[in-house]
Amino acid sequence: MIANNTRKRNATTFRPIVAAALIAAASATVSAHDFWIEPTAFRPTLGALVGLRLMVGQDLLGDPVPRDPTAIERFSFYRVARVPGSEQPVPGREGADPAGILRVDAQGLLIVAYHSRPHAIELTADKFEQYLGDEGLDAVKHVTAGSPVRRVAHELYSRCAKALLWSGTTGAADRDRPIGLPLELVAERNPYVSASGDDLSFTLLYEGKPQADALVVAINRDGPSRKLTARSDRRGRVTFRLTRSGSWLVKAVHMIPAKPETGADWESFWASITFDLAAPSAVPTAARQ
Amino acid sequence: MSDGRTNRSCLRRTADASRFDVFRWLFVISFLSAPSIVGAHEIGTTKVSATIGTTNYTIDLVLDPAALLAKLETLADRPRSGPLTPAQYQARIEALQAAFLSHVAIRFDDRASRPRFEYLPRGSFADSMPDNPTTATSTSATIRLTGTVPPGARTLTWAYGLTFSSYALTMRREGEAAGATVWLDGDHSSIPFKVQAPDMPLSRTRIAMMYFGLGFTHIVPKGVDHMLFVLGIFLLGRRIRPILCQVSAFTLAHSMTLGLSVYGVVRLPPSVVEPLIALSIAYVAVENIWTSELKPWRVALVFAFGLLHGLGFAGALGQIGLPRSEFLTGLVTFNAGVEAGQLSVIALAWVIVAHWSNCGDWYRRRIVVPSSAAIAAVGLYWAVARLI
Repeated sequence: MIANNTRKRNATTFRPIVAAALIAAASATVSAHDFWIEPTAFRPTLGALVGLRLMVGQDLLGDPVPRDPTAIERFSFYRVARVPGSEQPVPGREGADPAGILRVDAQGLLIVAYHSRPHAIELTADKFEQYLGDEGLDAVKHVTAGSPVRRVAHELYSRCAKALLWSGTTGAADRDRPIGLPLELVAERNPYVSASGDDLSFTLLYEGKPQADALVVAINRDGPSRKLTARSDRRGRVTFRLTRSGSWLVKAVHMIPAKPETGADWESFWASITFDLAAPSAVPTAARQ
Repeated sequence: MSDGRTNRSCLRRTADASRFDVFRWLFVISFLSAPSIVGAHEIGTTKVSATIGTTNYTIDLVLDPAALLAKLETLADRPRSGPLTPAQYQARIEALQAAFLSHVAIRFDDRASRPRFEYLPRGSFADSMPDNPTTATSTSATIRLTGTVPPGARTLTWAYGLTFSSYALTMRREGEAAGATVWLDGDHSSIPFKVQAPDMPLSRTRIAMMYFGLGFTHIVPKGVDHMLFVLGIFLLGRRIRPILCQVSAFTLAHSMTLGLSVYGVVRLPPSVVEPLIALSIAYVAVENIWTSELKPWRVALVFAFGLLHGLGFAGALGQIGLPRSEFLTGLVTFNAGVEAGQLSVIALAWVIVAHWSNCGDWYRRRIVVPSSAAIAAVGLYWAVARLI
């Protein structure tokens, strides 16, 4: 964000830590912006139209990204209650925001997935290293730190975003499931029959296999500065006690050396999953596990 | 570079392709060739357009009010609002306009301008309305910033710190149909935009004068190597005829290769041309030490060296660039400027040594041989230096 000297501080409403964190995070690294799906409603009624916004930003503060057909590898939704494999493309108009629109025609859990084509980015050695630190990419950092040459890093990055929506009243047994994104976070329990204060576990999969020792971060919309972080275990699992209700973003980044034919040095995958968590009082005890 | 969008930070000039301003052109070239880091963010929905008049400016930001309010509320440490009506967005964003303005930088030259803030509930996202606007709505709003252009301001620079995505900034002078569009990545500052209307399209005479001057200064004072070569020609003898013969051969030759090279017919890399030019200097100087007669091969050699120097001039002209509309004018006048520069070197040398050149042997021993030796040494040194 903008240089500090152009900011005018308002002493009464300004809590420096939050704002400084926001600004520092945004300005520190140009590429380390998260990407997530933000539905206009996480709990749409049956028959409703839901806008699916693609957001780029930080701490669940972001900017909408209009639909760009050339950037889309896959943009689809799944009704968990239906037979497996019922993948449907998410329709939308080119250049439109929300990038996707879907009509909710079934009860239960809906999985929306967006996988972007790779984008190329160049980063100075300093920015690249800082971002490796921010995203907990220690293995890559170890490689770059061992290199005597400090030069611009050429990276390809692709977005692997999911959102979980819930409609109606049936389908409490519905579960999120792997749908084949290169890097994918899978919620173990149905968040819509969970409530704030519950432990929720997620599995991080890279090419369908558990990805161990990755930094996974959970961010709540109303308290983005209080991030929860965990490293995935050998089975790719992390568990968070999500104490706040409202929208959550869980995210992880994985980076590999790029294939030689791409001309890039590194290739990264940005997994995210968004969902909404109710307060305990709003979830019937019978539905909770 | 997967999708071709990574080049979008380049300046796109619209509308005035026929106008030419060598300095602007040089500026664009330096901008493109700067080792910039390409940040390829997703392109967001934010659009910024600036209209600059003689006394006032207007900058419109079309943006998503919900996304903006969320950032402003977080900056102000307030709880984030849920979905609101357009009127509520307006009220809350207006209340936080100070936070907004502190993340906008409008600079005229080096002076910051504090604009007036105005919220217009309607934006102009042409394609943003979904099929059913009552449910899956996407709204947009315009924030209009207005202020005065300081008298005498030359450039406007823009930066906006409240977006994570890439966005298009269009800058336009009032009364002009089209502007210049740049893509900015998040917090980046725009390049300075010229506030004042550019000069009228340059006339042929102006272009001719400009390129004549560029050609002249390429020899005097910038082209020490060319000056030394011309001095080498001059020092051969006291009589005017050999000098004229050589100068004519040299001029004919360098005009040929300059023209052919600019049109892309001949091409030699500077790594070859530049050391050879240095060697040519050394050669004429060394020959001056052995003989004061104009040998037949000397004219032929000077012609050959002229071919080389012409390639060197072409390299210099290539860096300056030629206006597409007045290509030949630029080429011919640049060459004429080069010629004038060389003749002025000879004229000056003539004035300086005219007094002694009647002194026969003394002139040769005291002036020609030492100067030629020095020129030869410098030429050899350059030849080696340019090879390494």
